[in-house]
Amino acid sequence: MSVETVEIHARDHDAFLKEVHSFEFWFQSVEGYLASHPYGVDPSAPIPELDESEKEALIATLSTYCVGEVAALDGASGMIGFAPSRQAKIFLATQVVDEARHLEVMLHRLAELGVTDAEGEFEARANRNLLAFRKKLGEFVEAKDWEASVLAQNVILESMEFAAFHSHIQTADPRTAEMLAGVLKDERRHMGFGENDLGRHLAQAPHSRSRLQEIKKELDALVLATFEDSQKALGVPASERTGVGRLYLDTVARLGFES
Amino acid sequence: MTDPLLETSEFDPAQNGEAEKEAPRRRYKLKDDTGFDEVPKKYRRFYRKWAGPNDELAPNEVICPVCKVVIRSARDLRPGDRVYCMPCFSRLTVVRSESGRLEARVLY
Repeated sequence: MSVETVEIHARDHDAFLKEVHSFEFWFQSVEGYLASHPYGVDPSAPIPELDESEKEALIATLSTYCVGEVAALDGASGMIGFAPSRQAKIFLATQVVDEARHLEVMLHRLAELGVTDAEGEFEARANRNLLAFRKKLGEFVEAKDWEASVLAQNVILESMEFAAFHSHIQTADPRTAEMLAGVLKDERRHMGFGENDLGRHLAQAPHSRSRLQEIKKELDALVLATFEDSQKALGVPASERTGVGRLYLDTVARLGFES
Repeated sequence: MTDPLLETSEFDPAQNGEAEKEAPRRRYKLKDDTGFDEVPKKYRRFYRKWAGPNDELAPNEVICPVCKVVIRSARDLRPGDRVYCMPCFSRLTVVRSESGRLEARVLY
């Protein structure tokens, strides 16, 4: 059988879902961009010199990112216990590994920037709104509230991170940009899982939409404030900040939520 | 070796009865030459990075609205076709937008 006869788009949807929610799929996917990249970067690339103000801004931003990664690490690992299907459990297991790696590479980058106790210090430097968001996500997971957990973590948090990292890559130093680019590739799976899982769920349980709309409304304030503060810290002009949040707004609009 | 489930040499997206039936479809020999590395190797040729608003899409390409990757097919795409975005797990249907461009919409 020749590889030329393969047409992924002809597949049955159930077979497609089964494959992409497997550990084998995850392993073969990350192998493409993580092999030979310890801490998510080319080991032969030089560590760039940053001036003090750039360094301080980057440390604050990476500290905030770390809070997001810890939130998702704790959230995804907790959700495995009450995920509604084996496929969802396996996917979340892969997400836990991804989030742990993200935290590790970001702590490593903070150490490169001169933070002596990155793990002990990042919360103190992080954005307060994101810390509040993490607390809310923890409450949903604690309550084993699947739809609220997926909305908060895999739709809202992951879309926000995807947009923030994508924007940051455009202006970051080469080493940070390479590290974030690898993280961004993982985020595609995380937010895609969230939108598709919740989309299928809402098609079956449309009555859930109004409750989730209220949850979204509460979380929006925290998410958008985090967006705004992080973009400001990175020097993104006010005129461009709205565009960064567009991806998140488009995602929730596709799911039928009002903004 | 490829997955037997993917043996689709006779596959034509128009056969589902929903896609526009016009001229015969042009076929494309997709190659794994775009540098896209986010899915297993055997599927990489079906995707490429999107280079932004000035990135002109070929007739066999659409952008995934969920994760902004360019999805490629071995045939011209037409409204009604189904495509999968493997990097973000999305099933999509191709539509023609008001501007006349082909776009993809998520099918949950």
